[in-house]
Amino acid sequence: MSDLVVRDDLSLVATGTQDFVTVRLAGQTLGIPVLGVHDVLNPQKITKIPLAPEWVSGVLNLRGKIVTAIDLRQRLGLPPLEQGKQSMSVVVEHNDEPYSLQIDTVGEVLSLDDQDFERNPVTLDPRWREVSRGIYRLKNELLPILDVDKLLRFESSNKAA
Amino acid sequence: MDDLLNEFLTETAESIDVVDVELVKLEQDPNNKEVLDNIFRLVHTIKGTCGFLGLPRLESVAHSSENVLGKFRDGELEVSEHAVTVILESLDRIKEILAGLEATEEEPEGDDSELIGRLDAIAEGALAQQPDPEPDTIEGEIVDPGLGRPLKPGEVSLAELEAAFENAPGPEELAEPDMPTSEPAAASASQEGGLFDRIGGEDTLAVAAHLIAQRLETDEKLAKFFAGTTVEQRKGRFMGLMLALFKDDLDAADNVGRQLVTVAGFADANFDQLLTLIKSVLEECQVNGDTCDEAVMTFELVREAVVTAAKAIAKAETNKAGTSQGAQQQSGAREQKKVTQSIRVSVDLLEDLMNMVSELVLTRNQLLQITRNMENSELGVPLQRLSQCTTELQENVMKTRMQPIGNAWAKLPRIVRDLTVELDKKIDLDMRGADTELDRQVLELIKDPLTHMVRNSADHGIETPAERMAAGKPENGTIILNAYHEGGHIIIEIKDDGRGISAAKLSNKILEKGLATQAELSDMSDAQIQKFIFHPGFSTAEKITSVSGRGVGMDVVRSNIEKIGGTIDMNSVEGKGSTFQIKIPLTLAIVAGLIVKAEEERYAIPQISVLELVRASQNSEHKIETIKDTPVLRLRNRLLPLVYLNEILGFMTRDEIDARENVDDFIVVTQVGTFTFGIVVDQVFDTEEIVVKPVAPILKDLEIYSGNTILGDGSVIMILDPNGIASLANSGVGDHEHEEAAAEDLVKRSVGDEKESMLVFRAGSENPKAVPLALVARLEEVEVDTIELSDGKHMVQYRGALMPLIMAHPEMKFREEGRQPVLVFTDREYTMGLAVDEILDIVEEELTIKLASNKSGVVGSAIINGKASEVIDVSYYLGLAFADWLRSRDLSEDVAPSAGAKVLLIDDSDFFRNMLRPVLTVAGYRVRAVSSAAAALALMEEGEMFDLIISDIEMPDMNGFDFAKEVKKDSRWSDTALVALSSLATERDINRGHEAGFDDYIAKFDKETLLRSLAQQLKIKGDAA
Repeated sequence: MSDLVVRDDLSLVATGTQDFVTVRLAGQTLGIPVLGVHDVLNPQKITKIPLAPEWVSGVLNLRGKIVTAIDLRQRLGLPPLEQGKQSMSVVVEHNDEPYSLQIDTVGEVLSLDDQDFERNPVTLDPRWREVSRGIYRLKNELLPILDVDKLLRFESSNKAA
Repeated sequence: MDDLLNEFLTETAESIDVVDVELVKLEQDPNNKEVLDNIFRLVHTIKGTCGFLGLPRLESVAHSSENVLGKFRDGELEVSEHAVTVILESLDRIKEILAGLEATEEEPEGDDSELIGRLDAIAEGALAQQPDPEPDTIEGEIVDPGLGRPLKPGEVSLAELEAAFENAPGPEELAEPDMPTSEPAAASASQEGGLFDRIGGEDTLAVAAHLIAQRLETDEKLAKFFAGTTVEQRKGRFMGLMLALFKDDLDAADNVGRQLVTVAGFADANFDQLLTLIKSVLEECQVNGDTCDEAVMTFELVREAVVTAAKAIAKAETNKAGTSQGAQQQSGAREQKKVTQSIRVSVDLLEDLMNMVSELVLTRNQLLQITRNMENSELGVPLQRLSQCTTELQENVMKTRMQPIGNAWAKLPRIVRDLTVELDKKIDLDMRGADTELDRQVLELIKDPLTHMVRNSADHGIETPAERMAAGKPENGTIILNAYHEGGHIIIEIKDDGRGISAAKLSNKILEKGLATQAELSDMSDAQIQKFIFHPGFSTAEKITSVSGRGVGMDVVRSNIEKIGGTIDMNSVEGKGSTFQIKIPLTLAIVAGLIVKAEEERYAIPQISVLELVRASQNSEHKIETIKDTPVLRLRNRLLPLVYLNEILGFMTRDEIDARENVDDFIVVTQVGTFTFGIVVDQVFDTEEIVVKPVAPILKDLEIYSGNTILGDGSVIMILDPNGIASLANSGVGDHEHEEAAAEDLVKRSVGDEKESMLVFRAGSENPKAVPLALVARLEEVEVDTIELSDGKHMVQYRGALMPLIMAHPEMKFREEGRQPVLVFTDREYTMGLAVDEILDIVEEELTIKLASNKSGVVGSAIINGKASEVIDVSYYLGLAFADWLRSRDLSEDVAPSAGAKVLLIDDSDFFRNMLRPVLTVAGYRVRAVSSAAAALALMEEGEMFDLIISDIEMPDMNGFDFAKEVKKDSRWSDTALVALSSLATERDINRGHEAGFDDYIAKFDKETLLRSLAQQLKIKGDAA
């Protein structure tokens, strides 16, 4: 589904489309590759884990499986969700372990043209640059794509923290 | 077949298959260390097990191959095709021997010296340069009937094999000439060592079967059993039977065997006759003697089938309609055979099953939770059934994971045997409860610690025969391994009757390693010192033997056992032996967990670590107290260190916890190793079977969780790891063992060495009060009616005089009627009665005075009979009773001159300091009390002067004798009168006291003598001055 084309700036890009689940997080829309998403859950009861890193919001029970919930706002340096609002979960897998990304709301699934894809601007917040694969230029807004593997590669961020 | 042998065969066959493949890989990639290591390990294992099972032939072949492989591994020898070929050949030989072993349960005879010679030669390097032995002879198309695949490159060539066989006399040699028919097949098959081929293949069998069939007709004993069958039929059956037997097709053999006899009455004896006949026939067919015996042996496999079938026929004949019954029995017999059969299932599959069952248990729990809240639900009954099935399923799946602990012990006899040889000791190993089953996961984990401990016992524990004889023990040392179930746990004991652990030797080592100071050690009990062997890096053997002391200490054993939620304890008597006790959970996957609550979240604590639950509140008997900032709980004579779960989990700071009011805390008394502590939680729920699931990798660093689980209501909770909490609680202290020792020490030290008889009574409040029995003159009961009021004081006529009665507690009241219990105290002419509510007990106990009290009339409080009790100050009450009592002291002629003298009192016991100080004070002395000789000497250094020194004798660090010597050495205090005060008041002690420089030596409790002596000493000094 993708061919290589030479763009105006002579960079080589693939053409074709990819599907992304869009999620909203503190007013920002993000894309997560649809193939990586296992489940989207309504607000769940999350058991807090004292002493865990602050970007771990806890664990939840997904059909008998224990899933670790990641507070995406924390992870991306966004303010916490307003009081009284509950977050939704997007369940992804990393190293065969299920993780749930806690987001505000889930949007539609978009099929995006590879030609609209662009690398991260160098000025992007390092925390974002670290976990963003690149940006899609949509009509109304920009859509950073989350790199789930990098996002969940905690060892590095652990050390940095 | 022997289970052990069976297991060995399956395992070895698997290993050999792997080695086959790996060797070929190695040949293609000679530098692949991983492959080589794997091969080496497998062959090594085979060798080891052979030795254990007593299979010399297999062992020697495997050993020689291993040698060569070892040289490969060490790089001393290059991996050459020739060498690999010979090794493969040896593998084939091993297979051949295994086949024989499987058929007969005995190692087939044969000579492998030629093969071994070649292997050894390679190992020596002699043949390393030898040119390739005609690789051309390997014909890739030859399909080995035994292997069912073309020969792999590097596998033995026929020419070479034949050469090998010619050189090696044995059954093979005989087999050769007998099989001219299908030479390649037979030749390579004979490598496989099939009985079938050694007998001579189908041709020989055909002849034999024919002969047997014919002979049966004429044999007078056997003929009748085969009546009604033609020679051809019999020939066919015997042929089939032998084919099946010799080719190891037991099912087929079983089938044929059942049809063999057509007439009833064929008994075991007849079967023997049949065997004799078969043997003679086989011999006639020129089957080699050994092979012949082997062949006949195989018939034993069908003995049962033949005989039962014959019996069935008999039954069928008596019961006309009995054919079906016979068939039933037949199938019954076969079924029985099937039941005993086992299949090997991969561990992964079992794990998967276990996981699924765990899920099922969880779902079941959830369903139960839901229906519990519904009334008259139709779901009730089916759910109950489901619940039952689930439980059963769970149990059964758990069972599949269960293995007898004997599996972990299997190698021990051999290890101990080797040790006896190596160390020149005589050791009997007694294994009990080997069939106690436990989860294989647990089994795997304790295998090594167990082996290590048995090694330790043999190496360090058991003495040499000479030493044993000298110690009056039997020459043979005994190591007892004992395993048994106890309440959801497995207890494993390792007990030896060796020399035990010498506390003295250990102490030296501890000092050497700087694990504790001399002072600390001298205060420890032997048991505490012995527990140091669990410290990292400890090995008691003076020399490091090849057996133990490989850098793996008991600390590793301990941590391994603790890792699986177990505990280890030790008990050792020097000269008598040591006992180690390991307590481990049955299974790791599903455990009982105590559900507790802290700050609105629930947590599970594994039940195995929980000793008991205590509820503490301000008003109850148990309340949380603090020493500086450390919370503790008095629990049966021990101070239990506490940690607040709220604090550990970061919910609350200590200040917040302390600021709470009127709260009930629940204390989960938890044991980790030998360290006992209390976890304070907000609430305790019930115990639940929980399925332990590992925490996500990102949480692995959090040592306070051992996993998480899903409860019946579907919520996820974290499982707390008591080990982690203990180490968090102890952070900064380092090893909790130490902490424990220190805690014990605290108790021990204040206890002192004396046991005290204490009278325990109740007065006013519920809290018990106590007074040293030595101070009580009598116990009386006074009629309430006889109590009179005079001069505003309660009096009673007692022995012809008026005795004042004082209430032991201001809130106390006399009884309305009956008799009032009274403690009578006398001091010279003064006699008073102390009225109490109830006399509870007289206890003889090591006394610990914890807190000096500011309350008048109370010396302090002590734990007596596990309860905090106030120890009363008798002099206070005497002062209440007699206004002139204090004054009388001064006037008393015995003690008169001493008024105002400055006295230094040294006693490590809080109790005595607190008891004596008021006594001395009221006698008019100015008292300075210190708790140790060192503190007293410090005062000397500071230039303090005293008129008199009273010193206890038994004190830690520096005892009274040494102290006296120190004092006399120094000019400053050398003139001060020294009075020794001790419960050790034998003549020898007194003499020793005088030698050390004491001016007088007085028994404790002898208050009168003490006061008199003090006066005397002061007088003497005064006169001298």
